[in-house]
Parts: sequence; structure tokens; C-alpha cells
Amino acid sequence: MNWSAPLPGVVLVGTVLVAGAYVASVLDAGAARLVAGRPLRVGELVAGPWREAALLARIRRSTTERPDAQTWALAPALLAAMAGVAVATVPLAPGVAVADVDDGIVLFGAAMAVVMVGAFLHGWSSNSVFPLVGGYRFVALALSYEMPLALVLIAAALPAQSLSVGAIVESQQGLWNVVRQPLGLPLFLVAGMGLAFWGPLGMSDGADLAGGTGVEASGPDRLAWALARHFVLVAVAVMGAAVFLGGWQGPGLPGALWMAIKTLVLLAVVVGVGHRVARIRLERFVVVAWAVLIPLALVDVFASGALAL
Amino acid sequence: MGLLSAAAGRAEVPVFPVVGVGGRQAAEALWLMPGIRVVDSPRAAVLLVVVGRLTRALLHPTMLVHDQLPGPRATLWWPGAGGATPDDGAQGTEDLLAALPDVVTTVPGDTAGLLAVFADLLSGRRPSGRPALVDVEYPRWRGVGPHGHGGEGMMGGVPFGRPLAEMADDPDGLMLDQLPLRVGPFFPAWPPGLILDVGLQGDVLRGVAVGDNPYRSWPGDEPVGPLDTALFLATRTMATTVAALEVARARHHLRWLSRTLRGHGLAARAQRVGALAQSLSVDDRPVVEALARRLGRDAGLAAATSGVGIVDRAALERVGIDRYGGPVARAAGLGIDARTHDPAYADLGFAPVIHHEGDARARLRQRAAEAAQALSLAERAGEIVRPPGRPVEGPRGVLAPREPLPSSALLALLPDLLDGLEWGDAVTTVASLDLDLEEAALDQSVATWPARTSGGPTGASTTGAAPTSTGPAPTGPAPTSRVTP
Repeated sequence: MNWSAPLPGVVLVGTVLVAGAYVASVLDAGAARLVAGRPLRVGELVAGPWREAALLARIRRSTTERPDAQTWALAPALLAAMAGVAVATVPLAPGVAVADVDDGIVLFGAAMAVVMVGAFLHGWSSNSVFPLVGGYRFVALALSYEMPLALVLIAAALPAQSLSVGAIVESQQGLWNVVRQPLGLPLFLVAGMGLAFWGPLGMSDGADLAGGTGVEASGPDRLAWALARHFVLVAVAVMGAAVFLGGWQGPGLPGALWMAIKTLVLLAVVVGVGHRVARIRLERFVVVAWAVLIPLALVDVFASGALAL
Repeated sequence: MGLLSAAAGRAEVPVFPVVGVGGRQAAEALWLMPGIRVVDSPRAAVLLVVVGRLTRALLHPTMLVHDQLPGPRATLWWPGAGGATPDDGAQGTEDLLAALPDVVTTVPGDTAGLLAVFADLLSGRRPSGRPALVDVEYPRWRGVGPHGHGGEGMMGGVPFGRPLAEMADDPDGLMLDQLPLRVGPFFPAWPPGLILDVGLQGDVLRGVAVGDNPYRSWPGDEPVGPLDTALFLATRTMATTVAALEVARARHHLRWLSRTLRGHGLAARAQRVGALAQSLSVDDRPVVEALARRLGRDAGLAAATSGVGIVDRAALERVGIDRYGGPVARAAGLGIDARTHDPAYADLGFAPVIHHEGDARARLRQRAAEAAQALSLAERAGEIVRPPGRPVEGPRGVLAPREPLPSSALLALLPDLLDGLEWGDAVTTVASLDLDLEEAALDQSVATWPARTSGGPTGASTTGAAPTSTGPAPTGPAPTSRVTP
């Protein structure tokens, strides 16, 4: 099938995002129960996201005084679209990619940079104090995520001698990048967690702001934002699986299944960390990002470059 | 639609609690109830649960919160939370019931009743609650300024009831916008009832003032609901076993730890600690010791709390906490503890736990260590009975007859402590002090309390520790700052 045709492409990307978001929600609820020491009721876990979504769909939308209604509606759409662009660049099985373009990781990086715009607009639009503070928090942090993200992706591209995600997957035949470039995946996941404002890096939607950019959203708006945020997380996990865990490569099972398993593992790691690690202070994270993460990412680039020569 | 409603009716119930007098513990128990999810914003809630009695000062904020629930919505009232009776001077509650005739009154902790109201609401058998307030037409802009809004130029003034930003110096010597903002009394990251008037420069707090305590807003509002330190206060007139006191202390600190973990984005870990606190007994000593060690080593928590909200000896002396002891003082290196000289503890080998940094991290480790120590003392104390009347070391500091309660002094720390902090650090700092606005409210009637013996903890006077004022509080916006028109 021609996956780069409009309809199959949209269906494929949409399916990956929705299925991934659902699995991430189930994993999240399961991890919460494990950490809280409550019984793990599989039936409830599996039905939970659907029930929650149904409830949010039933709750009325609310508005604020003089909101920026267009940008409020645009914000989750923008986030979801950027997650879609990111997933489109990744081959999900041999020959199954919507847009395995020559400069796939550049496109991915660009899409992730636009996430900042979505998060800021979401905070800005409701014309309320805490959401605005949340939006500015994301802007203050975005560069600290994007720099290490771009650098570790460049390092991963070096052995492949290509910026295409498909070529990077091929280049890991026999040796995955997670082993070849041990710094890459952890840095990528930290940055990815930040871009999905997840767990310890969820400052823009943190409990200290009573929900940050999402304080004023209700019902379907809240659902849209939660979905969009999960989509970004899924996009990060899919890209991580392709670039660092060998993508669809693996013995025995079909490529698509390997890809799903690897994505699931990364989602589980991120979700688990989210329940174990406290929210990080803004100021401290920026210092750590520029004094530790970015230098480490540079080391990753230089070491990978030296090895590739 | 039928299928959607059926699925929605089986979702976890999003609940926003409003904590009235005597309601804090029942409200915190909501976090542990299966099938219920406590949410941070009224916009995310379907049920508003009013726990305890409302004073008149809490009425208007409660109505504001109520009207921000998007609907379908319903309000539950848990009146007798913590033993307070409905007719116990609850003028605010009566007014609320008059304004919202469809409030459902149930027993505190009645999960089944709560779930039934939710199911009725989702299935359409119960209509969504009507607004408590009517839309207000604000007077037209007046005053100076080209737009007649009361400020200068494009800044300042209160057009349409919303304060505009003014220019003010920032810590770097620049002139920047400063937005006046009132946060509370139901801001979920703060102790219930705390109202702070702050100036926000970006997310930096400037010029912090503690608002009137809404738990005591009218001469008729007697905040005599049981405090979380009730057992310790009761030692004035009642003999208690040391073991009971120490288990209560450990439980108090674990509850605080649970709230703090939640504030740091660790809701699941908070739930585990909260459940431990609820069923705590002397046998849990190893569990609590392990927890204290783990929390002490936790790198994420360390990064979130170290260096934040430093309370030094000078600050302690300024507000008089150096006389109370308590975990805040001991975390700053001040080894005051009433148990040191308490004959009931003489054979237990008690020595106070002390940390020196005085920051939020030290207070976290202090309380975790004291919880473990308390259970160890309880284990050794056996049947030792403590006679009534002597000053007792409460979970926040020394409780002595005719002395102000520690929360008042702790509250007085806030303005200086929070000034110049980034919002997240300010929230961490407030949480780390373990404030109780009800205790602070009770303080003002302390003189009417029976005193069995004379002599304070260190014979000190009562000056310098009464920061809150009485009188009708100006009502203000509730946790979120916008009201749907």
C-alpha cells in the first residue's frame, strides 16, 4: 500500500497516535496504582481512559472573560498536528512510513519546536493568571529541551550518514544506538518528557499552578488538551524507539510488532519516572540543562563523530 | 448519547473540595477514596464537596468556586465532618443552603452517596446545579487616566472589578509590571483558608500580605471544630498515654508528608503515605523508618526543596517561634522540644532530632525523621501515662496554656519569607511550614480556654505572635482568578 497517499497516511498516523495515547493512559493509571500500593484492577485500568474521555465529552465547555477563543481552540490542534508530523517521519515497519523524507530528524526537530507555540497559546488564550504563568514557563524551558534533543538526533544520524529516520533505523542493524551511543537515549527521553510537559518536567501544567495552562479548560477542551499532550509523548516514544532501539528490527516477530513493543517500553519508562520523580524547579532545570545536559549531548555528538570516522 | 453517558457515569468522579471549619481531615480522606479523583481546578470538577461548616467569610468564595464548575454539577455538604454539628454557629452554611437549595447533605466519607449523586447527575435524573451568584454589571470605568479606569495611563486601577498591573521595581533594578492578585482561600496547593495578597512580577512574588483568616470572620463564628492537633490540646485537661500522643504525632507528620508529596507532583506516592497515615499503629515503625530514609535520599525531592524558603534563627526570633520549638525551628538548628524536660519521657532516652539548613528540604527530613522517632518512642513508652496540664510538644511546637498556638507565629513568617520567590518555590515554602488556619483562628480565643497550670513553655510573653486580625473579611476571588460572566 502507498502509505504516503493522503488517506492511508492520515489513518495510519491517527491510529498510532490514538492507540499510543490510550496505551499511555492505561500505563499511567497502572503505574499510579502500583506506586500508590493500590490493587491493580485490570478491568478498570482498561476501561478507565474511555470512561474518562466520555465524562469529559459530557461536561460542558466553559469560557472566561474575554478569552482568545481562536487560539484556545488552535492550541491542542497544533500540538496534535505536530505530533502527527513527527510520527509521519518514522518507518513503523519495513517500507511502512508516511513520509520517510531525506531530512526526517530535522522535520521532527522542527515539529517539536512548534510544540512550544501550542503550549504558550494554551496558557495565553484563557486570559487568566495561572495559565499565563504556565505558558511562560514552557517558553522559558523550551530551548533547554530542544538543544539536547537536536544534538542527540544529530549524533544518531552520524553513523547512518543520513538525516532520514529510515536510514538511521537501517544503520542500527547488529548494533542499536542505545548501546553505540549510551548518552543518546537518556538525554532524548529527558528532552521528550519536557516537550510533553510530563512528570517532573510538567512545570507548565504543574500542581503548584493548580494545573497551569489547563486551569480554565473544561469538558471537551480539557479532553483535547490531554489527548494532544499524550500524542506528543507518543511521538517522542515512537521516534526514540526508531532512532535508539533499532526501530522495526528484531528477530522472529514482525517489524511492526517490534516497533510497538519498543515504543511501549519507552512509554512505560517515561510514565514510571513521572510517578517517581518530583517536579523539578524551573531555575534548577535550566542550569542543569545548560551546564550538564547540553555538554553531554555535545560529547555524544563528538564521540559519535569520531567513531563514524 | 446513551452509551456515552453510561461510560461517563462509571468514570472516576472529579471532585473539588471546599474545606470549612472542622473539615480538613475529611477533605483529605477524599484523596484515598476509590472511585473519586480530587481535582485542582473547579473547571475540572463535577461535584463540589463542602466539608465542615462555612463561616460567613467563606460563603462568597464558595459560591464563586461553585459557579466555576462547568456542569453538569452538584454540591454535597458533609456537615458533621470531624464532629462539628450542623447548627454550630454555621451562618455561612445556612446562607449557602439558602442560595443553593439543591445541596445534598450526606455523612462525611459517604462514598456511596457521593457516587449515587454523580450517577443521577450523569443520567439526567438530577438537574445540574443552578448558579449561586448573579452576573454583576460593574459600574463604568471612572477616575483618572485617559480611559477613566482609576489608574495612570494604561496601568493600574480596577476596571470592571479587576485590578490592573502597576509598575514596580524588580529585584534587578528594572521597572516592571506588577499584578496585584489575591489567592485563596481554596487554592489547592495551599492549606485551606490561607489567603495571600501578592504582587506578581511574572511569576515572582513581590509584597506578600496575609489576608484575614476566613475561619474566624465574625464574632459569632466560633471555630471550635476539632483541630488536627486535638489530642495534644486535650492534654491540658486529660491524662493520655505517651504512646497515643506519639502515634498521633507520627500520623500528623505523615499526613503532612502526603500533602507535600502531592504538591511536588507525586500524587501516587502521596496516596501511599496517606493510606499509611490513616491506618498507622506502633507496628508500622520499620515502614516509617524506611520511608524517612528513602525521602531523605530522594534526589528529585532534594532538588525541589534544598535552598528553598530558608528560615534562619533571626526570622524565628522575629516572629517568636524560637519559643515554640516545633519542626520548623528544629530544622533550623534550634533544639527546643518540650519533651526534653517532660517527666513522662524521662525514661525513654529522648533527644530532639535537629537539622541545620533551615530550608524546605531540612523541614521535610525533619518531619520524616520525627515521625519515625515518634513511633520508636511509642514502642518504648508502653503504658506510660502522661498527667494533664503540663505544656506538651505538639506537632507544630509547644502547646501551653494561655500561650498562642504555633500556627499564628508560623503564619507571621510568610510575608518576609515569600517576598522575591518564584511562584513554585513560594508554594513549596508555604507547604513546608505546615500551617493550619483553623489553629490560627482558634488562637484568638485562647484566653477563654481553661488553663490547668500556670507558666508558659519558657515563661515568655504572648507578644509578637498574633499576625491575623479579626473582623469581617473582604471576600475575594477563589482559587482561579476568573469568573464566567
